[in-house]
Amino acid sequence: MTSAPVTARLSLRSLRAHRRRLAGTLLSILLGVSFLTGTMVLGDTLRANFDTLFADANAGTDVVVRSADVLDSAGTVGGVRAPVAAALADRLRTIPGVAAAEPSVQGAGQLVGSDGKPIGGQGPPTLAGNWLTDSRLNPYRLAEGRAPGAPGEVVVNRGAARTGGLHLGSTTVLRTPDPVPVTVVGIATFGASADGMGPSTFTAMTFDDAERHLTPRGAGQAGSIQVRAAGGVSQRELVARISPQLPSGVQAITGAEATRESTQLLSGRFLSMFTTLLLVFAGIALLVATFTIHNTFAIVVAQRTRENALLRALGAGRGQVLGATLAEALAVGLLASLGGLLGGIGVATGLKALFSALGFALPTGGMVISAAAVLMPLLVGTLVAVGSALLPAVRAGRTAPLAALRDTGVDRAAEGRSGTVRTVLGGLLVAGGVPVAVLGATDGPSVVLTAGGALAVLAGTVVLGPVAAAFAVRTLGAPLPRLRGVSGVLARRNAARNPRRTAATASALMIGVAVVTLFTVFGASIKATLDDTVSKSFAGDLAVTTSSFGAGGSGISPKVADTLAALPEVRQTVGLGRGVARIDGHGRTLDVTDPARLSGIVDLGRVDGSLDALGTDGLAVSRSEAQQRGWRLGQSVTVGFTDGASGPFTIRALYEGGGLAGDYLITRQAWAPHRGQDADTMVAVGLREGVPLSAGKAAVAKALAPFSNPQVQDRAEYAKSAASGVDMMLSVVYALLALAVLIALLGIANTLTLAVHERTRELGLLRAVGQTRAQLRGMVRWESVLVAAFGTVGGLGLGAFLGWALVRASDSAGTGSFAIPPGQLAVVLAAGLLAGAVAGLRPAGRAARLDVLRAIAAE
Amino acid sequence: MTTLDVVRGTAARVADAVKIYGVGGTEVRALDHVTVEFPAGRFTAIMGPSGSGKSTLMHCAAGLDTLTAGSAWIGETELGPLNDRRLTLLRRERIGFVFQAFNLVPTLTVRENITLPLDLAGVAPDQAWLEALISIIGLGDRLRHRPSELSGGQQQRVAVARALAGRPQVVFADEPTGNLDSRTGGEVLGLLRRAVDEMGQAVVMVTHDPTAAGHADEVLFLADGRLVDRMERPSAGLVLDRMKAFERGRS
Ligand SMILES: Nc1ncnc2c1ncn2[C@@H]1O[C@H](COP(=O)(O)OP(=O)(O)OP(=O)(O)O)[C@@H](O)[C@H]1O
Ligand SMILES: [Mg+2]
Repeated sequence: MTSAPVTARLSLRSLRAHRRRLAGTLLSILLGVSFLTGTMVLGDTLRANFDTLFADANAGTDVVVRSADVLDSAGTVGGVRAPVAAALADRLRTIPGVAAAEPSVQGAGQLVGSDGKPIGGQGPPTLAGNWLTDSRLNPYRLAEGRAPGAPGEVVVNRGAARTGGLHLGSTTVLRTPDPVPVTVVGIATFGASADGMGPSTFTAMTFDDAERHLTPRGAGQAGSIQVRAAGGVSQRELVARISPQLPSGVQAITGAEATRESTQLLSGRFLSMFTTLLLVFAGIALLVATFTIHNTFAIVVAQRTRENALLRALGAGRGQVLGATLAEALAVGLLASLGGLLGGIGVATGLKALFSALGFALPTGGMVISAAAVLMPLLVGTLVAVGSALLPAVRAGRTAPLAALRDTGVDRAAEGRSGTVRTVLGGLLVAGGVPVAVLGATDGPSVVLTAGGALAVLAGTVVLGPVAAAFAVRTLGAPLPRLRGVSGVLARRNAARNPRRTAATASALMIGVAVVTLFTVFGASIKATLDDTVSKSFAGDLAVTTSSFGAGGSGISPKVADTLAALPEVRQTVGLGRGVARIDGHGRTLDVTDPARLSGIVDLGRVDGSLDALGTDGLAVSRSEAQQRGWRLGQSVTVGFTDGASGPFTIRALYEGGGLAGDYLITRQAWAPHRGQDADTMVAVGLREGVPLSAGKAAVAKALAPFSNPQVQDRAEYAKSAASGVDMMLSVVYALLALAVLIALLGIANTLTLAVHERTRELGLLRAVGQTRAQLRGMVRWESVLVAAFGTVGGLGLGAFLGWALVRASDSAGTGSFAIPPGQLAVVLAAGLLAGAVAGLRPAGRAARLDVLRAIAAE
Repeated sequence: MTTLDVVRGTAARVADAVKIYGVGGTEVRALDHVTVEFPAGRFTAIMGPSGSGKSTLMHCAAGLDTLTAGSAWIGETELGPLNDRRLTLLRRERIGFVFQAFNLVPTLTVRENITLPLDLAGVAPDQAWLEALISIIGLGDRLRHRPSELSGGQQQRVAVARALAGRPQVVFADEPTGNLDSRTGGEVLGLLRRAVDEMGQAVVMVTHDPTAAGHADEVLFLADGRLVDRMERPSAGLVLDRMKAFERGRS
């Protein structure tokens, strides 16, 4: 007989016998793999759905004519292109083979819903443009009503109409950002059936309206010219015919290319960021699962020592015993991964439905399940299972045949030499990692160095776990004997009984809690930095802002600053707008403002040179940016604008960076000839001496009514709202980490269940001599809480340290703050302990249900 | 007059006890209408062939298991109507246990094991009594040790001390010397005997060993779940003869 069938038979038999014990393992792999599969399937599906959607919507566009030059800068997705002359369309129509050519004007425009609240603006873009009259060129199709034909008539996409409660005939306001009164005459879908282009909103008006509200007056600009070919003329051919007729700096690309570009922009930036984020958290969940699984197998192998020794005594080779354990892990891994695969597809379907339910219009279409999305999770899940079982399997193979005769206590600490090795190795990792992380945080600073050090510290902590476990559990459990009497004593000793097991169980939770803490500390630090920025550089009393962030919203009308300045309560105002330009060849974000009006409201710190005399050919630059690029006061740099113009500008002032204003300041006068849509992102207001804040605020709010009510905030509110994005990010991160923490808790429950099984006789004895069920339950639960406390406290400490190191390391300017939020961390601690108690519920219930007699009789 | 004749009431008793395991074809009648009293201040041994129902009788009398029919009493308390909680409290306050093996909680020290039932009840032990017990079992210098550091005989002595620590009404011991050699077994039996003689304890012990039974005041013989015989003031020789007689009668 060959060895394989025996091994296989043994592992299958033991699988069946230990179904219960391996349930936790199965579940943790299943959850992790579900997450992984769900992420991949959702990513693939969204990508494919968007591709089809764009291809369908743009099917009628054969050639796109646009400016060749694209200006890229941090914060502008896809870069900014110079406009082209709208009149170019007329010339293109004369080219043979062109069936239709229309200028397309696009800008930002936020609709106000029927409830008076702006629609969208929390991330995805809020777009406005002209309604293309050639129905085949227009990616939008009318679902209801008609195309806009007169000033003030608009078509809105179905998603936006639904969100804002707008119907045919509704009158509302479009912020461009100057409020434009509009009437809805049509409702459109993107392509044949989608509610919109992803989650963005779109308002279409007549070409004249679009030109008036979205481009500088009288400039005759359009973003691009969309061209449709006559029958029989291919896209390429038409490009070849059009190209020679174009002015320099303008290019023609095929509709197919344009579609590919826009889908790539979406899948390449937004979707891959989204999936990468999810994959990272799937990875964390699987890492945590690894600990849980390793621990389960370690315990199962220990409990099976006698059985394995008997096999060895009867002539089974090491390889056979090892193989049997690995085969068991393989079977569990495969089974769980298959389950996870199905679960993941369910998760993806559910998530897609959830997004839709949350008003995040996603294109419809079936789920796309690629080979990679099936094979990867299957492979990862199986590898995690087999990899986690490797060490225990080797240990099983090493079982001495004599162990069959010895009465080996399973549930006890056998450390000895490996303890020394552990202490030395873990000590070295921590001792080496901490200085590296600190060095990366303070000197440099370097994120890579710190991340390396952080990983070493993390690994070291895990390695040191068993050494620290007994001491830590005894310390943390010190009050238990007084609280719970002898059952408390027993809970504490049981938790410290097998330090290696306790540590492995707690490590899973520790990693989860450490990541939670890391993000919490990071978030708090960002908030503290924002707070600091506001208090340091915002010297005004009120801030006028829009509640939107990301690419959404349309900003504040540039007239607001002057309107408010005229109020008797107001001493001074200044508007800050945003623009991009190429400065000495690098794309940069500029703040467009009236520098002379900044003083007293926006504090720029120490200023060298003069802000008052920037003029139309001067710039102010932050000192750190100037230093980095080697510029001095009075030096000349080349500024290239998005309209293609470029010229020399002189650096006339240097100021302290890191405040409300970015790295470059330019005057409105210098910016005006080159700008597109005009808007401010913020207006800072300083009140006159003696005007109470509330009175000033009321006056400003009243004056803002014609501008469709942008929000007015005092300093504290402004700082808080600046940080609200951080809170939203944090809640997403917490939700994603919940799975890892859940898996860690499954691990605790699993280990305890196995321990209860092992201690059957002991528990029976305790019951026989008078431990009540309630006392027994309490004992198991408290053990669970202690293990959870060890993991949580360890995770808090580790996470806080790593958070500190990473905050410092990523703060190259040295202007950020570091903050530890005690309230939030206390919540994490309480949640960890509570979760420990919950994890102990089932094992405790099982232990309490033990039949006393059976327990006494158990071998 | 010896302690044997002192009647201080009944520590435990079962009346018309029936215990049936399983149902239908697999039904086993482990106790078949057994009525027996365990008087206070008396050392009773229970003997009988394997499977005759000795352990079952003890478990039912001690409230670890419930009877199918009949009643079991500890002192004046009938066990039948008690719920799990009341039974548990009764066990830790009024009954002491010594099992054949695995008597001690491995994570507790010798001293903690001895006071375990009292600690579970949250009752402070009677220090003088405790010291006396410890000096009787002769392990005064091992109180801080863990059970795994003791020999089998020492462990059983600790178990006896634990059973006696709370001065229970009755001590049940199921083959307490089954795993011990004759000398260490003798130590444990001597301890139980002293508990009866000097402390007036009621002790009920299941054993297969005629020598062990010889330490008792009375031996009850069980066969097939029935009380078939009893012997007052037994000796090892007499018990052995009686057992041989049974063997002959059965074959
Ligand atoms: N849980 C149970 N389920 C079914 N039958 C049982 C159970 N416990 C005991 N029995 C049966 O009841 C009868 C009496 O068992 P008991 O354990 O009382 O015997 P015993 O006299 O203590 O034997 P031994 O000397 O071997 O310990 C036996 O036939 C046994 O098989
Ligand atoms: Mg028995």
